Amino acid sequence: MRNSLVFYVNGSRHEVRGEAAGLTLSDYLRGGCGSLQGDRLCGTKIACAEGDCGACTVLVGKPADDERSVVYQSIDACIAFVYQMDRRHVVTVEGLQDGDTLSPVQQAMIDCHGSQCGFCTPGFVMALQGLVEESEGDQPLEDETLRLGLSGNLCRCTGYSQILDAGKRLDPKRVASISKRYDTTAMLADFATLGDGPVRVNSRDTHLSNGHAPAAPPVDIFLPSTLDELLEHRAQHPDARLISGATDIGVQFNHGKVAPAALITTQTVRELNRLEVIDGQLVIGAATSWARIEAYTKNAIPAYHAILTRFGSPQVRHVGTLIGNLANASPIADSIPLHYVAQSTLELASIRGRREVPIEEFYLGYKQLDLQPDEVIVAVRTPLPKANVRLRLYKVSKRRDMDISTVTLAFWLEVEGDLCTAARIATGGVGPTVVRLPRAEESLVARPLTLEAMQTAGRIARDEIQPISDVRGGAEYRLQLVENLFAKCWHEVKGGEVFSGSK
Amino acid sequence: MPSVGQSLPHDSATGHVTGAARYIDDLPRLDRELCVDFVGSPVAAGRIRSLDLTAARQAPGVVCLLTYNDLGGPNHFGPIIPDEPFLAAEEVAYVGQPIVVIAAETAAAARKARELVVVDIEERKPILSIDEALHANSFIGPERHMVSPGAESDAAFEEAFRTAPHTLSGRFFSGGQEQFYFETQAAMSMRGESGDIRVISSTQNTTETQAVVAEALGLGMHQVVCECHRMGGGFGGKETQSAITAVMTALVAQKTGRPARLTLRRGDDMQITGKRHAYQTDYRVAFNSDGRLIAAQMAFYSNGGAFADLSTSVMERTMLHADNAYHVPMLRVTGQVCRTNLPPNTAFRGFGGPQGVALIESLLEDIAKVVGRDAFDVRRANLYRDGDDSRNVTHYGQIVRDHVMDETFDRLAASSSYRHRVAKVAEFNAASRTHVKGIAISSIKFGISFTTKFLNQANALVNVYTDGTVQVSTGGTEMGQGLYTKIQQIVADEFGLEPARVRVMATSSEKSNNTSPTAASAGADLNGMAAIDACRKITNRMRVYAAGLFASAERGLVAAPEHIVIDQGAVWDDRAPSHRLDFGQFCAMARRERVDIGARGFYATPGVDYNRETGRGNPFFYYTTGAAIAEVTIDRFTGELVFDRADLLMDIGRAINPGIDRGQVIGGFIQGVGWVTNEELRYNDAGHLLSTGPTTYKIPNITDTPRVFNVDFINNPKHQKNVRLSKAVGEPPLMLGVAVWLAAKNALQSLNGGEPVSLSIPATGEELLTRMTALVGQAVPDAAKVGCR
Repeated sequence: MRNSLVFYVNGSRHEVRGEAAGLTLSDYLRGGCGSLQGDRLCGTKIACAEGDCGACTVLVGKPADDERSVVYQSIDACIAFVYQMDRRHVVTVEGLQDGDTLSPVQQAMIDCHGSQCGFCTPGFVMALQGLVEESEGDQPLEDETLRLGLSGNLCRCTGYSQILDAGKRLDPKRVASISKRYDTTAMLADFATLGDGPVRVNSRDTHLSNGHAPAAPPVDIFLPSTLDELLEHRAQHPDARLISGATDIGVQFNHGKVAPAALITTQTVRELNRLEVIDGQLVIGAATSWARIEAYTKNAIPAYHAILTRFGSPQVRHVGTLIGNLANASPIADSIPLHYVAQSTLELASIRGRREVPIEEFYLGYKQLDLQPDEVIVAVRTPLPKANVRLRLYKVSKRRDMDISTVTLAFWLEVEGDLCTAARIATGGVGPTVVRLPRAEESLVARPLTLEAMQTAGRIARDEIQPISDVRGGAEYRLQLVENLFAKCWHEVKGGEVFSGSK
Repeated sequence: MPSVGQSLPHDSATGHVTGAARYIDDLPRLDRELCVDFVGSPVAAGRIRSLDLTAARQAPGVVCLLTYNDLGGPNHFGPIIPDEPFLAAEEVAYVGQPIVVIAAETAAAARKARELVVVDIEERKPILSIDEALHANSFIGPERHMVSPGAESDAAFEEAFRTAPHTLSGRFFSGGQEQFYFETQAAMSMRGESGDIRVISSTQNTTETQAVVAEALGLGMHQVVCECHRMGGGFGGKETQSAITAVMTALVAQKTGRPARLTLRRGDDMQITGKRHAYQTDYRVAFNSDGRLIAAQMAFYSNGGAFADLSTSVMERTMLHADNAYHVPMLRVTGQVCRTNLPPNTAFRGFGGPQGVALIESLLEDIAKVVGRDAFDVRRANLYRDGDDSRNVTHYGQIVRDHVMDETFDRLAASSSYRHRVAKVAEFNAASRTHVKGIAISSIKFGISFTTKFLNQANALVNVYTDGTVQVSTGGTEMGQGLYTKIQQIVADEFGLEPARVRVMATSSEKSNNTSPTAASAGADLNGMAAIDACRKITNRMRVYAAGLFASAERGLVAAPEHIVIDQGAVWDDRAPSHRLDFGQFCAMARRERVDIGARGFYATPGVDYNRETGRGNPFFYYTTGAAIAEVTIDRFTGELVFDRADLLMDIGRAINPGIDRGQVIGGFIQGVGWVTNEELRYNDAGHLLSTGPTTYKIPNITDTPRVFNVDFINNPKHQKNVRLSKAVGEPPLMLGVAVWLAAKNALQSLNGGEPVSLSIPATGEELLTRMTALVGQAVPDAAKVGCR
């Protein structure tokens, strides 16, 4: 079994074992890439260490499915770990220019006064480069593409306008892809010779000096390549932490709240990287990133897709997974209400076998799951809504993008003519778990779907929840939101009044 | 071609986009460098019973733990009132107040040691709100008064209220705001061979950092050098409070002899450093039936936090901006800073101005509602009139002159199709059952100068080298605002050089002594003028020397310095323009002839004088003005606000760098929008800040900026002062962000009958929904319940 990580940084091969394997990617880059004599790639900035500001944005290239090219996507280096970089090519802002020649993205940012204090700038440069990498065709990036694509990067100085100007000025025909700048063929060949087997590395305490150095990095890291390896290892190490995209554990790690002694990654397991429709059900594997789901649901479940663009940030969606969101079991997890009302099923597996659990039975209490120590979530199956289903999903947060929900709400209303024949409603942010609202649902069934009926149901819903006041909003506000969203839903479903504003 | 007026890129732009620009945490690690951390108070108020450092001292990697006992000087500082301890001694006064400084071999070791320090505190109930402070008579400094000429008599003032056709009164709230500079507070310190200390600090204030470090360590100021190469943002937050990390690292360097560095973690930075002050203001206003102001009284109370910091000065600026751009014939303003158990609140772009401006803009919105006129017209009617003696004197006695406010309003109304859009908004509101729109204008008249007179000075050092290149050093610091670039342009023009031949050096107390903070928007004004003074000393000497060089008996040219031209990278006599010397060659010749081609310049702003005791005088050299129109759409079910459109028009004189100034206007405006919409500081009952990172504290995102965003500048031929006829631009546009809040208020007003609607700052979704819900039967059609808060 391979006992080191192999990846590239700006075209240079890195083979890592020991303490550096457990560092966050940003600490690794900024701290000299695992060596006291190494280059400190300090262009990758840390402003929040929470994956919330994007100053640490880097591009990570991974082999495409056919292993013939490398596909680059932006991620937040502050909440990614070195052990997630195996068989990847990390490109930092230092790796963008060619000798003394700046890349077109860098030049556009200069020409448009896209930087002021400059601290967030490398992150914007990398995010913009990532947008060009992802864009299809050679048309200039559109305003909306730029806004959504850069919504994972905060800037306190510029007010963004001149950064948008820089993005619009870019001529994608002139922006060379990273894969043309580096010899990715050689990298792919190198990865191929490494083979497909699992990787296991051990890391000890770190001795790097850095303002954001971690409290204690993990010790035993296992990267299975097959489901069998994963389950076998899981059975032997029930205390190990399962790592999917690490976008939440990365934050907790930086805050010194968690430092698991052992961990197992799921995204290295090929069988878990599933995304398909089978028998009217959308099947999403445990390793499937939000970004893939986002692209896939555009036609399959438009309501889901629309709200998905507001989950996390582009950087987070490039690595974060639905299963990670479900397993993390936050009451404000953006994805759970939909899966409640769609009556999704979770597929669990262990060396003892497989079983299926309806999602509502999966959550036993605050962060308590019906999941045995040796089990892992393999996939989630979600029935697609039929034509008579009115599916509306809501996420209310203080800020529209890159924010955590104050309240989430999902309506699954089945209608025949004017009558509501079935109703499933789930809401989050109003208690220790996401909850269904059975009395509100009952009040709607077998009745005409009128505004009055929805308002009544909304008032009933208020009595079915006991939200608390916290940093994201007061209890009364949450009650009012839940009540009001019923009427809002009616206006959008029946009133035909879908007003999106100019966003 | 002169470079002033051109949009040169920021002088660090290449470093910014390549990642080569270094901030404190990026600087190379020095041999035996230590990581610094600290232990802060776990409670907001109390008395330290005991401190047990034993376990922490024994932890692996820990080098030392230091307390106030280790300070070589007095344990107090403060820019105005020295009431703040460097390290808490017996009392703690806010959550996170530093008590113990830790130095360790690694950041992880320092962090572990932090958890091993045992602080035993006898906790007291903290004072957190303005109301609690008022109840406890807990204040910082005296209550200040300003009374406009003509409002001195109580009888006349009361008579005005009695006889006015309309009056309004109430209480207005605005919340605090975190600076959220991207680079957190950071410093590194090194001890020199004679016990001297060099501090590299992310600071807006090298001189105060130098002074504070010297005082805390018991050194002379001559033994401390403070340098700042750049900041990753400042916004006022590094005017005084950058001292915390500077002192901590300097103390460690002094005690251990080893270099020491500290970059605060975001959560610590937000928890322990001061912010924009929350305000609570009681007001009453009298006006006539067309909305013209007659008299107003405003009692401002600010939440100053535990120590004075700059709070009294911030309050002064609030009071000086209580009128904003509007003439209030009889105005009485009082201001009182409240002492509470929050971190000492401090400077933040606008420096008290926003709180004053927001109130009067809110009042004008309400007044328009009461008199049934469009709020644009009400505002326009109340503007200061240039040249009209009856309508151009402020409540502190300064004449508002040479401005183009009327023209700004009119041009903005036309360019933004304001009237047409007001009608469209009304149509939309009549038709929509789900959303409500609002549109509003707000203005700014921001006084430029420090209101503390002595701060209006600057010095500069200009060194010309024998190859004709130039280094400039001033006390002005670079925090992203483009000061260095502007200085570079100004100096390049003084010598007629390409800007690339001029380099602005890192700010250092070694080269510029006794400097003012880079603040009050006046960085380019003051330091630019000081640099010009230095340049002219040099060019005057050059002219004298060159006059002799070009004098020619054969051609009948007597030596005449006034005929010497220094431009286009060359020197010549304008009577014989074909004979030119390359500037570099000329400089080398000048040196050989022992001509001094280096100089120090100085500038003191003329004509500023303000008497704090009488509340009268001319505190400002001039005003920067402008206006903005904003349109918003609010979801009636959720309170979610969408910012549809903004039109800004400002008079910033002749821009030294239009590209940079445009960035200042847009960036400042969006920061102001953040203050009035989603930036909300939430504390728990024990005084802990809950919103300590971007996850919970929401500064504007790119998707929060308006889809239609027009920014333009108005020519003002009457403005004939200041450096290269420019105007300060840093702070004024922030206050135009209030237009977005007014648009939200305007939207809510349209849901209400004849009454104005109260709205606090920030107008979060929660605030908006709560207010709409309270408008019974209006917010959500047929809603039966009324929300309470």
